[in-house]
Amino acid sequence: MASQAVRGGARQVKPLLSLDNEEARKRALNLYKAWYRQLPYIVRQYDIPKSVEQCRQRLREEFKKHECLTDVRVIDMLIIKGQMELKETVHVWKQKGHIMSYFKPTAEPKPTDFLSKFLQGVN
Amino acid sequence: MLRITAQKSLAGAKVSPKHLFPIFSRSSTDVAKKPEKIEVFIDDKPVLVEPGTTVLQAAALVGVEIPRFCYHERLAVAGNCRMCLVEVEKSPKPVAACAMPVMKGWRIKTDSEMTRKAREGVMEFLLVNHPLDCPICDQGGECDLQDQSMAFGSDRSRFTDIDFSGKRAVEDKDIGPLIKTIMTRCIHCTRCIRFASEVAGIDDLGTTGRGSDMQVGTYVEKFFLSELSGNVIDLCPVGALTSKPYSFTARPWETRKTDSIDVLDAVGSNIVVCTRTGDVLRILPRINEDINEEWLSDKSRFAYDGLKRQRLVTPMLRDACGELKPVDWEAALLGVGKVLKAAGGNITAVAGGLADAEALVALKDLVNKLGSEAVCIENSFPLDGSGTDLRSSYLLNNKIAPAEEADLVLLIGTNPRLEAPLLNSRIRKGYVHNETEIAVIGPKIDLRYDYIHLGEDPSIIRQIENGQHAFVKKLKSAKKPLVILGSDTLSRSDGAAILSSVQSLSRGLQDEMCDPEWKVLNILHKVANQVAALDIGYTPDLSKICESSPKVLYLLGADDCGITRADLPDGCFIVYQGHHGDQGASIADAVLPGIAYTEKQATYVNTEGRAQQTLVAVTPPGLAREDWKIIRALSEIVGAKLPYDSLEEIRYRLEEVAPHLTRYGCAEAANYFCEALELGKKTNAPIDTSPLDVKQKTLEDFYMTDVISRASPTMAKCVAAVQKQNLSKY
Amino acid sequence: MASVILRSRVLTPKYLKQCCAGISTSVSRYSDDVEVAVKQREAPLIRKELALLNSAELEQKRQHEEGTITVDRPSNVSVITGVPEEHIKSRRVRIFMPAKNAMQSGTDNTGQWEMEFETRERWENPLMGWSSTGDPLSNMQLQFSTKEDAIAFCEKNSWPWFVQEEPPKKEAKPKSYGVNFSWNKRTRVSTK
Repeated sequence: MASQAVRGGARQVKPLLSLDNEEARKRALNLYKAWYRQLPYIVRQYDIPKSVEQCRQRLREEFKKHECLTDVRVIDMLIIKGQMELKETVHVWKQKGHIMSYFKPTAEPKPTDFLSKFLQGVN
Repeated sequence: MLRITAQKSLAGAKVSPKHLFPIFSRSSTDVAKKPEKIEVFIDDKPVLVEPGTTVLQAAALVGVEIPRFCYHERLAVAGNCRMCLVEVEKSPKPVAACAMPVMKGWRIKTDSEMTRKAREGVMEFLLVNHPLDCPICDQGGECDLQDQSMAFGSDRSRFTDIDFSGKRAVEDKDIGPLIKTIMTRCIHCTRCIRFASEVAGIDDLGTTGRGSDMQVGTYVEKFFLSELSGNVIDLCPVGALTSKPYSFTARPWETRKTDSIDVLDAVGSNIVVCTRTGDVLRILPRINEDINEEWLSDKSRFAYDGLKRQRLVTPMLRDACGELKPVDWEAALLGVGKVLKAAGGNITAVAGGLADAEALVALKDLVNKLGSEAVCIENSFPLDGSGTDLRSSYLLNNKIAPAEEADLVLLIGTNPRLEAPLLNSRIRKGYVHNETEIAVIGPKIDLRYDYIHLGEDPSIIRQIENGQHAFVKKLKSAKKPLVILGSDTLSRSDGAAILSSVQSLSRGLQDEMCDPEWKVLNILHKVANQVAALDIGYTPDLSKICESSPKVLYLLGADDCGITRADLPDGCFIVYQGHHGDQGASIADAVLPGIAYTEKQATYVNTEGRAQQTLVAVTPPGLAREDWKIIRALSEIVGAKLPYDSLEEIRYRLEEVAPHLTRYGCAEAANYFCEALELGKKTNAPIDTSPLDVKQKTLEDFYMTDVISRASPTMAKCVAAVQKQNLSKY
Repeated sequence: MASVILRSRVLTPKYLKQCCAGISTSVSRYSDDVEVAVKQREAPLIRKELALLNSAELEQKRQHEEGTITVDRPSNVSVITGVPEEHIKSRRVRIFMPAKNAMQSGTDNTGQWEMEFETRERWENPLMGWSSTGDPLSNMQLQFSTKEDAIAFCEKNSWPWFVQEEPPKKEAKPKSYGVNFSWNKRTRVSTK
């Protein structure tokens, strides 16, 4: 809010990929589809202890995480990064551990409520 | 909240038109009086300056920095190092920029061939008599001589004397436990001498001999003992005077600097805390023209080693044998929580001077939620009349900086030299440069300036108030009089009467003031966060605690209240929360380890009502936790959960209680002087005949006043040094 | 190609003829007249990524390359910077103007705005005694010319921030060497 006071209104910028939100949406859907279709192969190729269904669930979560984004350029950059990830996965430049790291982190979750944070001494 | 505060400042809300107006009106009248400005040219850049401005100051106005060793903004001009030589067009010789006033139309060349040659020559002479021991010198890396010899010196040496008479060598002096001297490195800039005689008011340092035999020293073998002595370490442009406790510990580029606020007196000096690997290595002053200029008192500068000793690092509970046993946080919180619940609202909280505003507000909220109103501070303060309801009766209303403009200062029952050394240096500045007159009611003390001693009898205040004393004439004729009342006086049994008397005496003077911004009435506190505690609503009636026979006594860093077990009813459970194992922890049944001011981001309000925040420099030791978080966690255990989880949220609460507490850097002025006076008059109590007294009389009493400085070995050495000095024949 | 021709203008036309024939693959014919040869233009280059696009696609491509889009709110790059979430939400940035070092008289590195994160734990590394930290942002030193720039940067990265206003500056009074020797003032120097 403060930064708006600082920066002021709209400004012209160069696009990364998409010219408007509609185009960005299409790209996102394309990327989603590409991943979705690739999932069975990924499960087989990498021999991960997850079913295709679980992977689809996770894929959906990952896309839903950025549901509220509106900045076209930020969406584009995420799409580019997702594309890179996909390429690395398809070409088996990744290893099993890299794929598994998309799922639940192995470390213990950090406390969120005040008292347990206080007792454990984390900020 | 943090964002909102900043946003407000961006919107320019901080400077209200009310504040702007007097500044504007004052300067407009001044301009009319002032003589015409003259134009000079610095490297062909024109600049308009007032007559009498020196070449060096004129150059600074256009952003040209002329190298210097002896010149210092806050000291008199000495003009003896010659490093600031510059060329002036049509002048046959280079002139010393620091001492030469500019003339109309002068063209000054700060980077000409002649200037550079002059600097190189001066540099060569200085280096001839300076040892090449930078690798073992503590100043290395932050040395003016090092930097300037790189920038302006020659690239080779012509020093051949080493084969004949050898390099100049001077014997080191022992001038106390704080300052280490390596006198061979001295380049005779005399900054330390000028500081001692002008700012500190101690004419102990001086030079003997001439030419290459000249030496800076104390003439006779004695310590350089002053409450401001540490500043000569900063002033020394070379490594001749360095810090003894800091010697050989770190290089400046290894340390991380955190801007913070000092809490060992009520001035709230701005400091830089230098740390490495979680240790505080030294504390330096940070410039703030409104508070400490660029000085720092010795206690603030050197007491940091007390932060590592006597610390409470784990929660403790008293077991069946009556011994304090370390426990984990869960057990400690449950133990204390159980007792707090059982007390059923019969709880009293006492806050010490080092408690921050966040902890103060959290503790007050908790105690209130549990059904008690008994929250108080250690130092007593009159509650009759307006008490602490009106801020004007407990603030240094006129602020610290304008104290140097006063032409008459009346000190009542206070020793500013030891209670607030930087305020005293302001008064001394006025004494030296402004011919200020100072009068004292109270014991005869050494303030390092001459004063009129009116006596110790408090009835003198009444006499002055009623116009019966001879001193009234002087007070009336003063244009900018200042009355400073010490907190020691207010804790007397007749404190209310004295306060109301001083209020009415100040009112009489205030009415005749032409400058509405000038406030005559000033109260000087001794501990850091007294003002914040009073602002938040803590009451200063400690004596009533013992009468009320509380079931739980919660001490928040309260070590100096003088409460013992004998004062309290049997079975009273004492909780101590604080960072040092001192008097409070020794009587406690439960100890909750809090953290010190270098370890937390917390709000402190100084004696003038200026809110400032400390920043985290190092992480807390052991299991110690932030104070407000301990109280917040405890509240959840007790079942009276406080509604804030983060620093931002508790600062919202602070803002709710008193909005000025989060306006960092701004001193919130107080008003309602008349109303406070009217309320005070109603009490009409008599003034005792017992003479006024102050607790800190001699330098010995200065060094160890709170838990941090009491735990500090350096401060103990200082006390020993003063005692040794007292035995010496000089 | 043209430059080769231009450079070789001084040569005889005959030599040039042979030269052109030897080097050029795009100039369709050689002429006896140098002037004509110089004026002749080469076929336009076709970028290979555009070669197979139809006209609608070409138009879109051109728009992407030349056009701009309008952004009506400040951009927030915290999701794409790769900074872990715990180092975005739980950090607090202080925006401040560094003070002059009290130990020296120089004023370099002051007068600009800087940002700094709150201090996290540092410890002595048992191997060499060096200083260690688990905080990747503690060494980030950025300078800004105005505080608004610094604020905008923090906003862009979603760091909570606060501004520490610079303390007031005081106007210097003219200093005088003479007061050291004034006979009736307290500024008279006693010790030298």
